Parts: sequence; structure tokens; C-alpha cells
Amino acid sequence: MVYLPPPHLASADRPSYAEAYAKILASHRRSPATSASSVIMLVAPDVDALCAARMLADLFKQDDVMHRIIPVSGHAELERMREELVTYNDLHTLILLNMGSILDLPSAEWFGDFSTRLTVHVIDSSRPQNLSSVFGGGENGERIVIWDDGGAELLQEERKAWEALTYEPEPDSDEDSDLDSEHDPEEDEDEEEEEEYEGSSSTGKRRSIGDGNHGRKKRQKDERPHRMSRDERERHAARLEKYYTSGTWHGQSASGTIYILATVLERVDNELLWLAILGLTFQYVTSRISREDYDKYHSIYYDEVARLNPPPPAAGANDYDFKSQHPDDTSVYAVDELRFMMFRHWNLYDAMYHSSYIASKLGIWKERGRKRLTGLLAKMGFSLLDTQQPYPHMAKDLKLSLRHKLDQIAPEYGLVELSYPSFTRCYGYRSQPLSACDAVEAISALLDVATGVRMEVEIEGARNGGEWFGNGKVWEGGRESRRRDDERENIPPGGIAPAAKPKNTANGDVHEDADEDDPESQWRVKNFWTAFDALDDIVQLREALPLAMSLHRAIIRQGSSIIDKRDIRTLRGHRVVVLTQGPDLALFAHPGVLGRLALWLADALRDRLAGTTPAHARSRRKSLPLVVACLNEHAGTYVVVGVTAALDFGEVRKNEFGLAFLDAKERCNARTRHGTFDTSVLEINKDDLKVFLETLCEGGDR
Amino acid sequence: MALPAPLRASVTPTELELIASEQLVEIVPLVAMERTAFISGAYGPLRPPSKCKVPIWMATNLKLKKKCRIVPPDWLNVEFLEERLVQETTGESFSEMPFRFAEVAKVLIDTAPDDFPNPDKIRSLLKDIREARQAKSREGLSKLDHSELSLPNLCSMEINEIRPFFIRAMGVLIDIIKDAQPQQDIA
Repeated sequence: MVYLPPPHLASADRPSYAEAYAKILASHRRSPATSASSVIMLVAPDVDALCAARMLADLFKQDDVMHRIIPVSGHAELERMREELVTYNDLHTLILLNMGSILDLPSAEWFGDFSTRLTVHVIDSSRPQNLSSVFGGGENGERIVIWDDGGAELLQEERKAWEALTYEPEPDSDEDSDLDSEHDPEEDEDEEEEEEYEGSSSTGKRRSIGDGNHGRKKRQKDERPHRMSRDERERHAARLEKYYTSGTWHGQSASGTIYILATVLERVDNELLWLAILGLTFQYVTSRISREDYDKYHSIYYDEVARLNPPPPAAGANDYDFKSQHPDDTSVYAVDELRFMMFRHWNLYDAMYHSSYIASKLGIWKERGRKRLTGLLAKMGFSLLDTQQPYPHMAKDLKLSLRHKLDQIAPEYGLVELSYPSFTRCYGYRSQPLSACDAVEAISALLDVATGVRMEVEIEGARNGGEWFGNGKVWEGGRESRRRDDERENIPPGGIAPAAKPKNTANGDVHEDADEDDPESQWRVKNFWTAFDALDDIVQLREALPLAMSLHRAIIRQGSSIIDKRDIRTLRGHRVVVLTQGPDLALFAHPGVLGRLALWLADALRDRLAGTTPAHARSRRKSLPLVVACLNEHAGTYVVVGVTAALDFGEVRKNEFGLAFLDAKERCNARTRHGTFDTSVLEINKDDLKVFLETLCEGGDR
Repeated sequence: MALPAPLRASVTPTELELIASEQLVEIVPLVAMERTAFISGAYGPLRPPSKCKVPIWMATNLKLKKKCRIVPPDWLNVEFLEERLVQETTGESFSEMPFRFAEVAKVLIDTAPDDFPNPDKIRSLLKDIREARQAKSREGLSKLDHSELSLPNLCSMEINEIRPFFIRAMGVLIDIIKDAQPQQDIA
């Protein structure tokens, strides 16, 4: 029920994060049946949730609270997890990270039936939130605690509408007095709940509703039973509809929320700050928040960095490449980051080639565009040979002049917003400093493809002045980890089928699910833990950078070929891309990778395609709705991702595809499955795709 | 234990670290605690911000949970170590160092580098001292005879290093002397 306002809005009778945390500690320490399963964290598979989980785990470890972290990849798995959790007797705290805010948690379907000792904390950055979780009252609702970032304060209208609809019984046109008496017990209940409400709240508005009901009830005992006219009901219902169907967007990152908790508890340090920075950078880099929001949070973290770290050495003011000052140096520096993809680990040409911003402005999928890129570099004084050298080996004076020249010359080509403020962290003498966006790329690459798909990774130095000897090696990071015992112990006599080859003769979705899920969830879990370990270990993180680079290369290859072949169809305002062949098809069957391809395409095509208003959209604002589907040959399904990109760089639009997909699915009876928590990603049976796409695009006629 | 053969004859360095962690060190606690009884004794009460002496194992545990700050022992600083290093490199015999200096220094500097004024300088000084002493103990071993080996001011880790060697060596020497003596008696 309770949504926790952030600490700056908290007051004596409105508890906030710190109190909720103290309650977790108290119930852990006081309950006699405390065991390792008393506090369980369910974590969604994205970088933000991962960072938040790590931060929370650190805080718990310092407080000696035994906890368990369980990765959950989608709704289906969450349901299965729920079944399992019902059987745990000693569970008293459940924390959901980046999942569950859209679910109706107090209902019986989810956590309504659990024992009353259980408290569910939801720390989720995705919006909209389910209003019954946020506002639901009563004993059942008290157990669901939503950690809010201040957005719920703005939902007062929705609150009224929701309360009106939930607590008022159906308007009855009969005037029987026995109906009065029938209604009485219900009213009493309602009144009790509202009184509890009033007790725990302090805003005048709520009191007035309570009083209003009271007054109306008195009147109503004399008059007829129905309290609200149909118009009012409809108005309220429309208001709620509007809230839920305006699309999905994101609020404060989960790791940011936990950072605020740590600030209130006065236990922040560089580790927590760095993880919070990673969560924020992830949100910005994957276009979940707009540039304005990013700047807002960035300035907070900037101050924190200045507070917790020594100022950067004055000599390095011109040099954007920081060096660690001493072996224990783990400080974080604020520095402007260029929009090139991992340019400190690649050569300059590749970094610029793979950046989606430059891709769109220069049109690099064509030969002409590539020439423009080399022209730009030449104008800045970098010869072809220089740009092909790995960045660490580039000449020092070139590095120093890079930023300066970029500012001077890039605007001629239309590249204006090349840098954005970000952070870098030193790792003592163990490694070069690593920037936040590179770390985010590495971790999300690990999460997506550390195992489960065969990735080829380039060995540094295999290139020489533009010629490539083709020496790649297969990525083995995930398998090298010490979890080899899983594979040794449970090998059936025939050997295990590797993850990428599920059984072929499946008929019907259910059978496929059961068979496919086991290897699929296995590699998902492995990826999760590989990424989790890498958060701490700079060596593993650096090793993951080549993986991220080859992932990008695959995305660019596919994206350029799509644009080249003009594979983008326009169906009634939607741009649709269907991938049925290509060298990397197995790779793009992963929803995370496909999502990135969609974002890259959206960025690349931003200036070239006119904005459209999709047929089903609520608002009249133009945007760039893009649907990308990729064939998963082995499973016989298509993975479909919908992205609503904004027309201007740096802004975001609410993603309306979640609802559009559900709509279309119902109307054409397609067999679909939501594999992840993102409602704009789904898996659909191969034969239903065409019909589905058509119904999706006709969505406007209702 | 599954250690290689040479290490099985003596105590391992990690065990020495464990033994050394019983020593008391001074901390500035950040949380309060009553006088509590542990297996090895009763420690506390912890009343921030006044200092208190606790065993090193407890100090590192609190430090990792960010509940205290460690006060460096009076021998673990740059001036003292520099002085000792000079003595070590100029004198013939071993200079006086706290008996378990290597273990204590390792544990404290690894857990709490931020509580020391100059941790990398301290680390390099410690390394220099250790190398100088190592050279001396190698020389001293050449003076080994069957009855005694006198190396004053040797510290626990160093003793542990040479122990397997000189025990066996002395055993062999004693055998040789015993064999030599009866011949003398007869003659």
C-alpha cells in the first residue's frame, strides 16, 4: 500500500526509506525463525537492478543480515518463483528489484495469500505503477511497500479516482431498505479501512474524502444506496485508463533509490556511489530517461563525487585520461564523456563508426558516409594509420588534441552534442581507469551473451594498419568461471544438449516452454552471476570489453544491412523490420540484443525518417515507433521488440507498445509469450507473425 | 592438509596470521557496544569516539563493516621503519622488530589502508626490511652447528621460514657428530 516518499518529502508520520530499512533489520533480528531465506531479493536481469542488488547486499552484509539473491528473468519465472516462495516458512522480507510495479501485488494472484508476516518491498524504476499496490489500504495492502521517488505525490487525482472506484460499491438502482442493511457491513469495512487510512495519513485531501463519505453515508441511510452517478464512475474510470494506457516510461533508477537510502543512513562510500552512477548511466545510454533527467541526477552525483574524492590533479586538467595516483587509488572522477562507443579500448575509427549518434549524422552504412568519416578525421589531423591504432597506443599529442579538434571541426558535419558529462573510476595500479559508460557496456554484454551463444572476440593486435588477419577467438568467459561443477555432475548418459539447440519436435507452446526453459534459464542465471561478479572484479570487467565490442560489431553489421537493403516497411505509421536470415540470427534471437538493435536503428534513422503518429497512439505527438522482429529458428518463434523513439536526440517518449501488443494479441488470437519484464518485448509463434503485425498497425480503429 | 611437502613440516603463514590476530590493537569505534564476552576474553565497552583496545580479528571485522577506524600501532609508521631500515642495513645483527610485525602489518594495511598516512611507502619500507633480514638469516645459517643456532631478534615469520631446514640440518649434523665421536673414543 504504502508508497514511501523519498526522504526529502518524509515527515514524522510518513515513514521513508530509512524506516523501512530499519524495519527489515528489526524483523530479521527479532524473528526466531531467521535463516538464510528470511530476506530474499528477486532481481531483474538489467544493469540497474544488478547494481542495486549489489549495493543492497553490501549494506546487508555490513549489518549482518543473511539474505539471498535470486535472478528472475520474466513474468513467467516470477510466477513460478511465487509458487516456490509460498512454501518458505521463514520468509519475512521480499525485495523486488526493477520488477513488479505494474503488478497488482495485494491481490490473491500475487501476494495476497501469503502470511501476514511477509513484507514485500518494490524498488522499481519502471512506470506506471499499479495503483492498488501504491494506494491499496488495509492489512493486506500494508504489506506491500513501494519505494517511490516522489512521483506518486503527483498522482493525487488518480488516487481519488482509484479510491472512488474501489471503495464504493456498485451503484444500485433499487431502493429497498434491506439493501441498505446489506450494504451496511460493507460500508463499515470501508469506513474502517478509510479510518486506518486517515490515521496513517496527514493530507487534508484524504481526510476530506473520509469525511465526505461519512457525511454521505449518514445521508445515505436516509436515502437511496447509490452514491455516485454513472457519470462520475465513468470519469474516474477514464482517468485511471488514461494513467495506465499512456505508455511505459522510467523513473528514478533502483540503484539511485538505494543510494539515497545509504545517504540517509550515512553509510555512503565510493563503492556505492560508483554503482549508483552505473545505474544512472545505464538508464541514459539505453534511452530510458531523457537528457534533462540525466542531468538532474548527474548533478547530485557530481556533488557526491566532489565530497568523497580528492580533487583531480591539476596537471591532468587538459588530459582527459586520468591516471591512478597511487596503488590504492579507487577514486571516482567526473569527466566529460564522448559519445563514441568505448573509444578508449578500440581504435578511434572503429569507435566513431560504431557510435549510433555518428552513424545517423554521417550515414556510415554507405560508402559515402564512411568517406565522410575518414574526411572528418583527416581534417582533425589524424591520418588513417593513426586512427587504426588502438587508443592506448595512439600518440600522446593526438590524444590531447582530440577533444579540442572535435569541438572545432565536428560541428561542420552536424555533430554537435558529442560529449556529455559522466564519470570515470581509477583502479589503482591494477588497471587503467574505466569510464562509467564502458563499464555499463561491458556488464550488459555479459548479461546478454556471456554464455548461451557463440561469440567471436577479436584479439587485440590482430589488426595492422587496416588489414585484418582474422584471428578471432571464441569467447569463453562465462564458462571459465568456477561453476564447472554444475556441468560435471548432472550429465545424463547421452550428454547434455548445448543451450542453443533445444528440442525440435515440440508441438504447441506449452511443450516448447517446458523444454526450452531449462537450458534457457540456466544460461540466463549463469550470465547473471557472471555479470554480478564482474561488478566487483576489474579484471573480469576488462575481459568483457572485447565481448561488448564484438556484440556492437554484430549490431552494426545487421543494422547497416537492414538500412542498405531498405528492409524497413512502413505499415500505417509504424516502421517494421523483420529479420529472417543473416549470419547473426541466433544472436538476435535474444531480446536484450534485439532491443539494442532497435535502439540503434531508431537513433540512426532519427533524422532520415519523418516522425509519424502511430495508429494506436493516444497522444498526437509525433514520434518514431519502430518494431523489430527476429526469427528464432530453433524455437519456431519470432522475438518482437517495439520501441518508441523521440524525434529529438536526448528526449524520450513513453513506450506505448506494451499495450499495443496486448491489444493486437487479443484481437488476432496469436500465441504469444512475454519472456521478460519489459512489456514491449514478446515472443510470438512463427505463423502468427504476419497477422499480428497487421492487427498491430491497424490499432487505431477501435 | 593438502599442502606441498615442504610446507607440511611447519606452520603456514595464514595460520601465523591467525595467531597474530589475537594481539590487541587500538581502534576508534563508530558504534557503541557493551562489554561483551568472547571465547578469548571480554572486550569493550565501545564508546565512540573514545579509543579502545580490541583484538585484531575484531578490529578487522568491524572495519570491513565500516564500524571503526584503526589506529596504527606505534611502530607502523614511516619514521620508525626508516630508522630500523638504516639499522638493518648498517649493523651486523638483526635490529629489534616486534615479534609478529610481518603478519600484523599485512593484516592492518590490507584492511585499512585509508587509516594510514602513507600506506605504499610503508609497504615498500617493510619489503626493504624483510629483504635485508633475509640476507642476514641466509648468512647466519652458514654458521649452523650441531648444538645451537643463535639468531637474536628473529621474527616469527622468518623463524617459520627456516625452521624446516635447520631442524633437518641439525639432525643430520648431530648424526655426523655422533658417528665421529665413537671413533675418537676408540682411538
